[in-house]
Amino acid sequence: MIEFLHMIEESAFSTWVRESPSIWSFPVILLVHTVGMALIVGVSAGIDLRILGMAPALRLAPMEKFLPILWFGFWTNAITGTMLLVADASMKLTNPDFYVKMAFIALSLINLSMIRKYVFRDPLIETGKFSSKARFLAWSSLFCWLVVITSGRLLAYVGSTSTYK
Amino acid sequence: MNLAHLHLLLNHFPTIGFGIGLGLFFVGLFAKNEELKRASLVILFLIAVIAIPTYLSGAAALDKICDRVNGAIKCPADLSLTLIQEHEDWALLAFALMEITGFFAWVGLWQMRRTPKLASWNATAILLLAIITFGFMSIAANEGGNIRHPEIQSAEDIVTAQAAARVPMARAIGAFVISKTWLWPACETLHFVGLCLLFVTVLFVNLRVLGFAKSVSFAAVYQLLPLGILGFGINLLTGMMFFLAAPQQYINNVEFHRKIIFVVLAGINVLYFMLFDKAWKVGAGDDAPTSSKVAAAISLYLWVGILYYGEMLPFLGNSF
Repeated sequence: MIEFLHMIEESAFSTWVRESPSIWSFPVILLVHTVGMALIVGVSAGIDLRILGMAPALRLAPMEKFLPILWFGFWTNAITGTMLLVADASMKLTNPDFYVKMAFIALSLINLSMIRKYVFRDPLIETGKFSSKARFLAWSSLFCWLVVITSGRLLAYVGSTSTYK
Repeated sequence: MNLAHLHLLLNHFPTIGFGIGLGLFFVGLFAKNEELKRASLVILFLIAVIAIPTYLSGAAALDKICDRVNGAIKCPADLSLTLIQEHEDWALLAFALMEITGFFAWVGLWQMRRTPKLASWNATAILLLAIITFGFMSIAANEGGNIRHPEIQSAEDIVTAQAAARVPMARAIGAFVISKTWLWPACETLHFVGLCLLFVTVLFVNLRVLGFAKSVSFAAVYQLLPLGILGFGINLLTGMMFFLAAPQQYINNVEFHRKIIFVVLAGINVLYFMLFDKAWKVGAGDDAPTSSKVAAAISLYLWVGILYYGEMLPFLGNSF
């Protein structure tokens, strides 16, 4: 298995991402990944905080229009994340922290789909009164994204050091 | 011109500007004139914004005039490092308080858009904070003057400065951040959380002005602004932790300079949305006027730029 990961790492593309002095390789990929994060977590947190009572004059229903921005961020990060992963596969895929991050991304997305189902599809949405279930989903969404950001940030600090560093 | 010049230019603003803002606030309180209060809050907020490059350029000025030899700072014979560090300590305290005052001034401006009268709790908070800040700032300015003007120094000053030889606060905080392995990553994580809060506000407000989700009125997205300022507050605090821990990474880093210039411009930009009636009058279903759209586009450009320069600090600059 580890041989396979090394093989991925040694591919021309992985080497370019990792070692190219060009600003367009690692730096810009990481920048796009950060902007993507801001779009995903930002839009999600905005909806969560609205459910929890922030900005009461802002109706929640039209905020659903921001979900395509979230999905744009998600696919951007799926692509840039894969690029960053193949550049450093043997370190990331042997790091438990990486799996924590992936698991919580999955939980966050399940949480989001539940918010769509139980909050946005709720006919009472226009009344601005949210059920305790909706409030729970908002809190759990905030928590899950916080774990994603924390574990993602910690990837730079914990686990075995890459053989390429 | 180098950053030491910039510090000499900027360092007059926090003391004088803050004094003017505070004086105007006093007059506004006595005359019970809400417009005067509003004007003074604008000044206090803007001075708090300008205080950011003022403080940062001070650290750069130290780097310019003194050398670092094996971690110790060696200054030319005619300069007293003790005096410089005394100045730095007071300046850091004054800076921290000024940012808190600026935050409350911002909240006041934000509230006054909807309720024309400044809330009395906030007026009290701003008044107390501004007076203490002004006091600290005056001491910092006086200590700063002593560095280059020995002629105004009294014998008493010299004795106090020598007696006060100790680890400066900025170094102590920086050393603490470095000494705990978890603290830098924790600040980084919080810096990212703050970034998300700030960016979502920037996105919702500006995209609405530019014509996205028009069924929402501007007054509704305006309620999100405190979330953005909260994100900014988190990032200013955590950002300062990085700066105090490793100033060498930032003071000569061109990407960092650009980032701070953009932060100042973004601070001015946010006032457009709080003070001008054009954006405020955009109701549900309305198209925003061109000037508001231009301000929104500038805001998006500035914040994406701040993200870009921040991300590029280790790559184009020299930080890790």
